[in-house]
Amino acid sequence: MARPTPSGRPAEDEPLDQADLALLERIRQLSEIADPMPVDLPERIRFALSLPGLEAEVARLCAEEDQRLLAARAADQSRTITFGSDSLTIMIRIDSNSDGTARVDGWLDPPQRRTIDLRTPGDALLAVADEQGRFAFSQVPRGSVQLTVRAEPEAAGTVRAVIVPALTL
Amino acid sequence: MTPVEHRGTRLAAAGDDRGTRVAGLVEAARQGCQDAIGDLVTEFSPLLWHVARTAGLGSSDAEDVVQTVWVKLLTHLDGIRTPGALVGWLVITTRRESWRVRKDARRHIPAEQDWLAAIPDDHSRTEDLAITADTQRELAAAMRQLPARCQELLRIVAFVPRPDYHVVAAELGMPPGSIGPTRGRCLARLRALLDTSTEGGA
Repeated sequence: MARPTPSGRPAEDEPLDQADLALLERIRQLSEIADPMPVDLPERIRFALSLPGLEAEVARLCAEEDQRLLAARAADQSRTITFGSDSLTIMIRIDSNSDGTARVDGWLDPPQRRTIDLRTPGDALLAVADEQGRFAFSQVPRGSVQLTVRAEPEAAGTVRAVIVPALTL
Repeated sequence: MTPVEHRGTRLAAAGDDRGTRVAGLVEAARQGCQDAIGDLVTEFSPLLWHVARTAGLGSSDAEDVVQTVWVKLLTHLDGIRTPGALVGWLVITTRRESWRVRKDARRHIPAEQDWLAAIPDDHSRTEDLAITADTQRELAAAMRQLPARCQELLRIVAFVPRPDYHVVAAELGMPPGSIGPTRGRCLARLRALLDTSTEGGA
């Protein structure tokens, strides 16, 4: 325990003691209860970091519109998410297929031909964005996915890849 | 007081072990070991989360910032040779990135939120008693009485290995000696508040 000061209070210029360390441990527990980090966040980041080609830009979440929250139409389950990086804006719409998988439609702005790489924990899917910057993955398993906008093979080395933060379908 | 002292000794030993283990992970990560980088992500993402949240970010922004900081770290590993340097870099980079997101955000971010709102401050919500022990409620009440900067410092330091407390205090712009190796003003005030509430409640 702390040596009592003349006033009987633990003084601020004393060394940290066991009671301080125990108190910090309680603060850690309190923070974990009051404001918990999503439990799967480290796993999603580990998944994202396993990407090759780190000479890349990282896109950031700009906006997310979830139609389910708007409760417009019961059958409409679409979600629209926008990401931005220094060179590209990437819009993604996620719809539900009747078989339980997800459909992902995307648009690149400015429009350009790129290869889009979509990694799931068990698979890697490829799509090509056309001149209008449109691409689609018609059937994607639900779960954590990682999108990367790559250069087309002939432009490899001249155009930087853009990594989109992992998202859960 | 014997049980308390026992617990404290065990905690101190765990803290020192953690510092040693993290030092090994930092060295392995710098040499390019992917597993070590992954272990650092698991070890320090909670720290980054709470840094981003104390900077005022909402949940999804905080998740993005934590991920962005880890991606950035991969290109900065060469210059990071000690756990203290890693913790310092992670804390300052997460704060800067959080401020940038706040500044860029066109969408409304609520200003002050009570991060302890989930902890009931009385006994009225009995269903919460299972997860919120009396001692935690008492701690929450004391924390609420501290200045915001003290709450922020203690919340962040609580997720840092013991040898590096002072690094966090320095990165948060707290005066030297604010915590580790000395107790510092924030922890001293918190202990005084807890002593008072124990005396008053007994």
